[in-house]
Amino acid sequence: MVVLDPAHGGTDLGARGTGGIQESDIVMEFAAEVRKALEQQGFQVVQTRQANDNPSFDDRSAIANAQRNAVFITLHIASTGLPGTVRVYVNSDLPAVTTANGFIPWDRAQAPFLGLSRKLGDLVEGMLAQRFKGSPDAAQTATIRQLRTTAAPAIAVEVSSVVVNDRADLDHMAPGVADAIARGTVAFRPLYVVPSTGGVQP
Amino acid sequence: MEPITELVTPPSKERWKFWLTALLVFVVVGAAITVPIIRRRMKRAARLQQQSEEQARRELVQTVPMNPSDPRVKAKLFWLSDSDNSLLAPVAVELPLSSDPVLRSKQVLNTLLAGPVDVELRTLPPDAVLLAFYILPDGTAIADFSEALATSTPSGIASEQMAVDSMARTLEANVPEVKRLRIVVHGQEVETLAGHVDLTGTFVVHTEVSQPPANPSAPVPGAAGKVGGILAPTLTAGNSAVKLAQR
Repeated sequence: MVVLDPAHGGTDLGARGTGGIQESDIVMEFAAEVRKALEQQGFQVVQTRQANDNPSFDDRSAIANAQRNAVFITLHIASTGLPGTVRVYVNSDLPAVTTANGFIPWDRAQAPFLGLSRKLGDLVEGMLAQRFKGSPDAAQTATIRQLRTTAAPAIAVEVSSVVVNDRADLDHMAPGVADAIARGTVAFRPLYVVPSTGGVQP
Repeated sequence: MEPITELVTPPSKERWKFWLTALLVFVVVGAAITVPIIRRRMKRAARLQQQSEEQARRELVQTVPMNPSDPRVKAKLFWLSDSDNSLLAPVAVELPLSSDPVLRSKQVLNTLLAGPVDVELRTLPPDAVLLAFYILPDGTAIADFSEALATSTPSGIASEQMAVDSMARTLEANVPEVKRLRIVVHGQEVETLAGHVDLTGTFVVHTEVSQPPANPSAPVPGAAGKVGGILAPTLTAGNSAVKLAQR
């Protein structure tokens, strides 16, 4: 299963461009394309939001954390960066901690999955770099709140950017981004061995 | 024919009611005119007081006087690289820096906030103010910024990470006493900087950066010692040494 997270929503508009472009709107369009591409590859897809609402970071993570073999992909549009490029991020290192009963704390749920997240991120970024020149060859690292509490291979995909002159410039990127994410996820599937963690403790 | 005065003048027993009614009408009309004016003036006075307090606070907290007798050193300030805006690059700026780590940290962070000559290369919003800075005995620094840090930093993973990295790298390069960095806004913990980067933990400020430039065409050492020159390998978000420390 792939949990697809169109970031922001509701009163949280995310990044805003001068031409009225809002990250919270655009990511919904990207999510629809990515979902279609993933389903064509045989994946079951669940979205963290279907409408213009804004679930909390924890609520979004909880959807993936409730599954045994989910992959979590959060979609963003940047305020900065070279227009027409796409960056994939994985979370920075977090010290892995387990409780006496084998649970991992909720606020460090990503720690046991960082290696898998890195593999998924590199595969997806590699696919994106082939289509979108100027994108990095490998996934980048950042301290992303949304990823920290997600107990699954988890990546953030950030498209540049809301400062394009014409919204169509972003719209034209959506099918390519969707195809690259789907291909990267397919390539990741045989590498996905769920780490043995007792579960996630809230 | 009756006298006219008897036709237009109410009887004496009704006269007090007339004047009372007139007085009440006058009071009501007067209140309707003056109350909104008074309310506006009160709001304006409250706003002015708030502004003057904010101004006074800014003046108190923002000014970190540089003592000209302090030794002038080439501080390394990390802003965006002019050859690639997705990278950070150190710029040498000659400053009289205090030997006191707290004062020194404030001096370099305020210089970072002031921005480089090319404003396009700044990493922090120009209206953000460093309100307070402390260093705990274990080397954890707490930097308290005004709300503008959260509201004016461009929302996005790359832009927010660059903002944090530029602070951490600048402290790492100039204040060895700082081992970790905690960023708060108006004294309060915030979940993210501008919707993405996690501010609930502390960032490890590594003492050494030995990563080579990720981009072969990126700025390389060679201009060391020259004001505005590049002194060290360029950092990227990908090889950033800034990580969340143990909670």
